[in-house]
Amino acid sequence: MQLSFDPRPFDLLGGLKVWGVVCLVVVALAWGIAGLLMFLQSGAPGLARLIDLTTGLIRDFLQTSPRRVWALAVHTFREAARKRALWVFAVFAVLFLFAGWFMPELKQSPDMAIRNYVSFVLRTITWLTIPVVGLLACWGLPEDIRLRSLHTVVTKPVRRQEIVLGRIVGFLGIGLLVLLIVGSVGYVWIVRQVPENFGQVTARVPIYGELRFLTREGKSEDEQGMEASGVNVGDEAIFRQFVEGNTQARAIWRFEGVDMNRLQNGQLILESTFQSFRTHKGKVDQELLGQFTLVNPKNGVRVPLQTFFNREFRRNSYNVTERNSRGEGGKLELKDEQGRTVDLAKDVLDGGQLDVEVACLSPGQFMGMARPDLFIRLPDRAFLTAYGKGLFSIFLMLTMIVVLGVMSGCFLKGPVATMLTGFIFLVGRLSHDFLQQLTSDKLLDNPKLQMRGRGLLESLYRLPTHLGPQIEVEDNTTQRVIKAIDNIELNALWGVKYLFPDFTQFDATAFVANSFDVPWDAALLPNLATTIGFCVPWIIVGYFALKCRELEAK
Amino acid sequence: MSNLTAFQRKLVYVGGILLLLVPIVLLGSPPDANQEPSRKRPGETEVRVKAGSGGLLSRLRQQHELGEVSLGDVDPTSSTMNLLLLGFRGMATSRLWMDAQDQQKRKEWAELDSTIKSIVLLQPHFLKVWHFQGWNLAYNVSAEWDAVADRYYWVKHGVKFYMEGKDRNEKFPDLYWYTGDTLGKKIGRSDEWKQFREFFRNEPDKEQFPNGFDPEVNPDKKDNYLAARDWFLKANDAADQYNNRQRIMAEPLFRFYPARAKIDYALALQREGNFGEESRAAWEEAFDEWANKYGREEFDCPIGRVYMEVTEEEAQQFQAADQDKPEENLKTLHWVSRYQDMCNYRYWRTRCKIEGESDMAAAHRALFEAEELYRSADFDTAISTYVDGMKKYEAMLEKYPDLKDDDNTIEEVMIAQLFWRDALRIVEGAEPSDEEDFPLKDMWIKHQNRKPMLLEEFQRRQRTGGRTI
Repeated sequence: MQLSFDPRPFDLLGGLKVWGVVCLVVVALAWGIAGLLMFLQSGAPGLARLIDLTTGLIRDFLQTSPRRVWALAVHTFREAARKRALWVFAVFAVLFLFAGWFMPELKQSPDMAIRNYVSFVLRTITWLTIPVVGLLACWGLPEDIRLRSLHTVVTKPVRRQEIVLGRIVGFLGIGLLVLLIVGSVGYVWIVRQVPENFGQVTARVPIYGELRFLTREGKSEDEQGMEASGVNVGDEAIFRQFVEGNTQARAIWRFEGVDMNRLQNGQLILESTFQSFRTHKGKVDQELLGQFTLVNPKNGVRVPLQTFFNREFRRNSYNVTERNSRGEGGKLELKDEQGRTVDLAKDVLDGGQLDVEVACLSPGQFMGMARPDLFIRLPDRAFLTAYGKGLFSIFLMLTMIVVLGVMSGCFLKGPVATMLTGFIFLVGRLSHDFLQQLTSDKLLDNPKLQMRGRGLLESLYRLPTHLGPQIEVEDNTTQRVIKAIDNIELNALWGVKYLFPDFTQFDATAFVANSFDVPWDAALLPNLATTIGFCVPWIIVGYFALKCRELEAK
Repeated sequence: MSNLTAFQRKLVYVGGILLLLVPIVLLGSPPDANQEPSRKRPGETEVRVKAGSGGLLSRLRQQHELGEVSLGDVDPTSSTMNLLLLGFRGMATSRLWMDAQDQQKRKEWAELDSTIKSIVLLQPHFLKVWHFQGWNLAYNVSAEWDAVADRYYWVKHGVKFYMEGKDRNEKFPDLYWYTGDTLGKKIGRSDEWKQFREFFRNEPDKEQFPNGFDPEVNPDKKDNYLAARDWFLKANDAADQYNNRQRIMAEPLFRFYPARAKIDYALALQREGNFGEESRAAWEEAFDEWANKYGREEFDCPIGRVYMEVTEEEAQQFQAADQDKPEENLKTLHWVSRYQDMCNYRYWRTRCKIEGESDMAAAHRALFEAEELYRSADFDTAISTYVDGMKKYEAMLEKYPDLKDDDNTIEEVMIAQLFWRDALRIVEGAEPSDEEDFPLKDMWIKHQNRKPMLLEEFQRRQRTGGRTI
């Protein structure tokens, strides 16, 4: 379960490593099994045939003709258009005409209303385009085979991978056209729905930091010698940790690469979405009081800023320059803890690293924070940029569906290919967290809790002996054997997890709807890497399947 | 094998279709519609079914109130959704409920609101859904927000949700009552009651409500308790008009809410330090509503119908009539007394009567002002004002001794004593012993067992100045 909105930069190198390992294992297994079967069937010539097929793959792909692929793509596009795929526009138009009936009117804050509108548009586009291109892709090749129209193609000097690629490009063309048109209509609809608040529809560009805590005594380690953490106030969904008011407890963010030139008009803007938790009523009509302290970790300069009131569930924007300007002309005047005047650029931001300490000043009350709850806001980008990137993410997902559908169609009939594609999509969309949970020893709801006994044999041992997942089993030979066997099956499960792409990551709604730009490192790069990482093997599988299958066997 | 040609068969089919069409038209033709003045939006018209029009099925539907329109307004979106889902409404609803719980857990309020709207589209006539989610918005979601104005927004959101539910189910009194209950209790009695009551008459969001009030929840710019009373009256009217019983509480309790709202209004005025003519008049009106309207309302009981405001003369008549009845539960006065006990009728009657007297208002005012003087450290004046107030209070208790056992009265008297004694300790260095003579001495001695609990309240008021009468 995704608890909240926490974008993390994608580790491309780590991803490549996992991809390489999984591909290697799958190829080795496939090659081994195929080799064995062919050897058993035909003896040594069977193995030679396998080697020939493998070298043929490399040869065929090197000799791919873009011209032929394009010709097949154009043909596919026309064929899809003739199948009335573009009727999807009518459904889309109807949905937008009546969307207002289903949308709640939240007048509390414009950003809540905007979030609803943007989410609606992006989700509608996603769920309308996926079935259209998915069905086209799954039924295209099987129908061609059934109607024997593919027979006329394969008799031409066309390679099998060119047929697969031509189909993919053609269906993607249809998908792109649909996406561009409905995306444009959606954009206009959003603009028309929120005309007076349109200034607030923007694309914020954040710099996120890494978060750590100090205990109420101001220590970085707790009594058990563990890294200090915030207080758990009993929220069901443990995402934020809370800092106690009027103590030395602090939440500290470390930001990297903070440079005056990158800031909005040279102004340091801190945006926060902290939560408030009261243990007593306190001053009912006053929000909790907090304070930022800017710290330069390189030279140790510490600058406590003017206090702020935390408006819960809203975007709290703290402009350091505006809030700490004194004297005539509103000149920024920062003083360190010793009362010496310091300069923001020369003293505080020198070296590019900045620590921001957050304290809750209201006694007996708590302020809750998670990593994405505080960021430095850089100059905004146009909403259209973020919206475009959101559409691009949807296009990448469409690409995966098309490739998957075409690949399935290469060796399955239309209905079965649709079921296979639908199954992989649904597992990747709905059950990815479940798969993640199965192969991880941490609870997603509470990362501090370790989940023991995930293996089959250990579970069988724990159930009758009433050992919960928090209790360690005794360390003896039997248990070591059980764990060793379980490790094999858990590692296999780990590999299986990577056979299903995480389709939830393509949903950029969380960024766009919350008025954030869609970041390259945390969203676009992983989406692109996932698309390429899955599509390349799928295309190869499709090529093999089409090459090996008997077209007359309908 | 038929000997008919294809063309002849087609003619037979057409004939059959036309033959079947006649009873279908006769039975199933839709009713006529009339443009009538809107009952909810004055000055506007709305389409209503013309009574007795349409085919047999339509007339039967109207006669036995089986159509959806007989329950309240029909939302075309809701009907469309239910039709489109074919038989999957149950599944979709369950999924939405799970989503709503998940969103609430993650504090995604905009998304939660959207999901709730979808749920009621699928279950528009399931009263418990409206009740649950209206309460959820007004009480649970509002409490999650830290800023008082934000909390108030969600309380109103819950009230508006109830109102929408009422429109869909206008013949059932339950949602009218919940609307009134939230307007009264949530706005008037929560921790933030001071701010909420002020916001109700003077909206914090001036940009959205430049006139200072939200026309959806407070069109007449009333006090929250008086607005709640309007809804309680509507609840009673709906029950009478459509002969639909509510399923919230016993009938005599449910019916007293309009009068109770008047009492709450008068209490709230006192809580805010208003002991003038406005407060006295509010109590007088509350007495009228309680004794002369609610008290004369008849309720079913096993021996017929009884009412609670029984005059001396009527009591004698009932007693005379009951003389021959062998069992207690066959006597009229027995049932009158039982219903009075159920509603604490006699207490509230006395309370309204006594509070409507100017001497009682003067006693309350003196104690209130004395407490304010204590807090502003004017202890000498506070002591004399306390003595004056307690003497007036004592005189009223002599006149209405029933009130001596009332919890609110005991609390007010004991707290006044604690403040007075503390002021005396500060000024004179000692408080009077129980042997000395002082006003309200009897009550002070009698209720010493409550002192430890009331000391906490006294200390809280010393710190914060809050009053929770």
